[in-house]
Amino acid sequence: MKNRGKKRLIRLLLYFFLILCIITSFFPILWMTVSAFKPEGEILSYPPQWVPLHPTWSNFSYVLSKFNFARWTFNSIVSAVVAMIIVIFIDSLAAFAFARMKFRGNRVLYSIIISMLMVPIQVTIVPLYLMFANMNLLNTLIALILPTTGNVTGVFILTSFFKSVPQDLLDAAIVDGAGSFRIWWSIMLPLARPSISAVAIITFMSNWTSFLWPLVSVSSDASRTLPVGIAQFFGGQSGVSGSAPQYGPAMAAALMATIPAIAIFLFLQRYFVKGIMMTGIKG
Amino acid sequence: MKGKKKSYKWVPYLFLIPYLIAFFAFRFGPSIAGFFVSLTRWNIVGQAKFVGFGNFVELFKDPNFIKSLVNTLYFMLLTVPSLVIGGLLIAMLVDQPLKGRTVARTFVFMPYVIMSTVVGVIWLWIFDAHFGILNYYLGFLGIKPIAWLSSINWAMPAVAIATVWWTIGFNMILFLAGLQDIPNELKEAARIDGASSWQVFWNVTLPLLTPTTIVVIMLTLINTFQVFAQVYVMTGGGPSMATLTVVQYMYVQSFQYYRLGYGSAIAYVIFMFLVIFILIEKKFLKRFGDES
Repeated sequence: MKNRGKKRLIRLLLYFFLILCIITSFFPILWMTVSAFKPEGEILSYPPQWVPLHPTWSNFSYVLSKFNFARWTFNSIVSAVVAMIIVIFIDSLAAFAFARMKFRGNRVLYSIIISMLMVPIQVTIVPLYLMFANMNLLNTLIALILPTTGNVTGVFILTSFFKSVPQDLLDAAIVDGAGSFRIWWSIMLPLARPSISAVAIITFMSNWTSFLWPLVSVSSDASRTLPVGIAQFFGGQSGVSGSAPQYGPAMAAALMATIPAIAIFLFLQRYFVKGIMMTGIKG
Repeated sequence: MKGKKKSYKWVPYLFLIPYLIAFFAFRFGPSIAGFFVSLTRWNIVGQAKFVGFGNFVELFKDPNFIKSLVNTLYFMLLTVPSLVIGGLLIAMLVDQPLKGRTVARTFVFMPYVIMSTVVGVIWLWIFDAHFGILNYYLGFLGIKPIAWLSSINWAMPAVAIATVWWTIGFNMILFLAGLQDIPNELKEAARIDGASSWQVFWNVTLPLLTPTTIVVIMLTLINTFQVFAQVYVMTGGGPSMATLTVVQYMYVQSFQYYRLGYGSAIAYVIFMFLVIFILIEKKFLKRFGDES
């Protein structure tokens, strides 16, 4: 009897912590959402209200009319999607060669590429800046996209996947007279769909949330991406400013920038998880 | 292709070229170039002047740089243990046969998909000294309002709290994957032999989880050392440089003062630190592995 009581207590405790985890994770998101719908006077009311008394869209219209918000969103989406497509294409081509072809320097080249996993992105920022400044490409979408295409993770994930494909599958195609491109396109790519989805999500997310390079490479407001644009709401500098900070519009902007990512995440959750496990393996 | 020799020798290069161009132009090339820039004194306008390791010598005499380094290490001290141990504990919790555990996994991971600067903005509001919801609730516990982000003592812990909230789900997922790879029979066998839950955890689960733990610690060290965006939004490095981090100092030197050589030197110091972290961890875990 005593033992059973103890077991029940433990279960109760576990549920308590489970609920605590959910609440702690969600409360800032919920608070942002609630605040976004509060009119200016209400947001600073004390004690804080969890239900807006006079819910309003005014914060959203303020953000959309006073800031280039739609433009930032467009830049963010376009640069992340285009980078993702380029990365999948060129990485899967290269990974196929590394995994399945014999050529001089295969190993050496591959180790050079993998070694760059250790080199932090910061060391490339100044040279990249000089390079794009020289080509007069600062403040363009091209500058936001191109540096991502040199990524290493995608090649690493896809190469390890292509290596795991049984040779029998390829032999049959070779006997049928299929060339390398055919094999890559109609055998390897369909097989690799889960890995490709993972690479797609990793690439999209890293571009979507990227901050340092967009901050450096873009100075005109119309070319900004969402993360940089949103950082502006507080001047990008210390939170101490003369006038009261405008939390309402800031929360509306934060919410608008967050909804797409959370929606994508909820729909593609299992690919996110897979993607993370694959980045984990690389360590 | 294996076996057949008829394939043309240049075919592999055709597959490689698009990626190799991108890799050498935007990743490898700039990384090497960054090292050469770090050996110069170069203020964007005018000529680069070769100064050897002068920038590095200057860096370690620069009190602001030392300050940023100490701050970053302090930030790591605040975040890394919570992210690793907390991540493991949450993973073990949502690995239990509890109702709603998948919901909990989803919720704990959700903050991770939010942009760094948005995380900063959200927590800026939560931490607001006068109207923030955190101070309000702390008031119930009898805690006087804390001027979180404008206080030298509390600004860094505040940034650390936001960061743990933001990224702990990532470690949870990695640990969860590791836990699910451990065969249940092993734990069962230990239990039948009379091991307590604690003994099972300490003698079976933890040792078998070591490969995952290595990866999690390494990624956490690497990521926390490069903290930037949250700080940029929440404090801008203030008050009085209490939250100035290394990456931010690199940004300020390179792109606000346009001291390109000096900024590049900082970037290479960041690189060196990451290498040191990885070496220390490898060494430490090797010893740990030998003993067990």
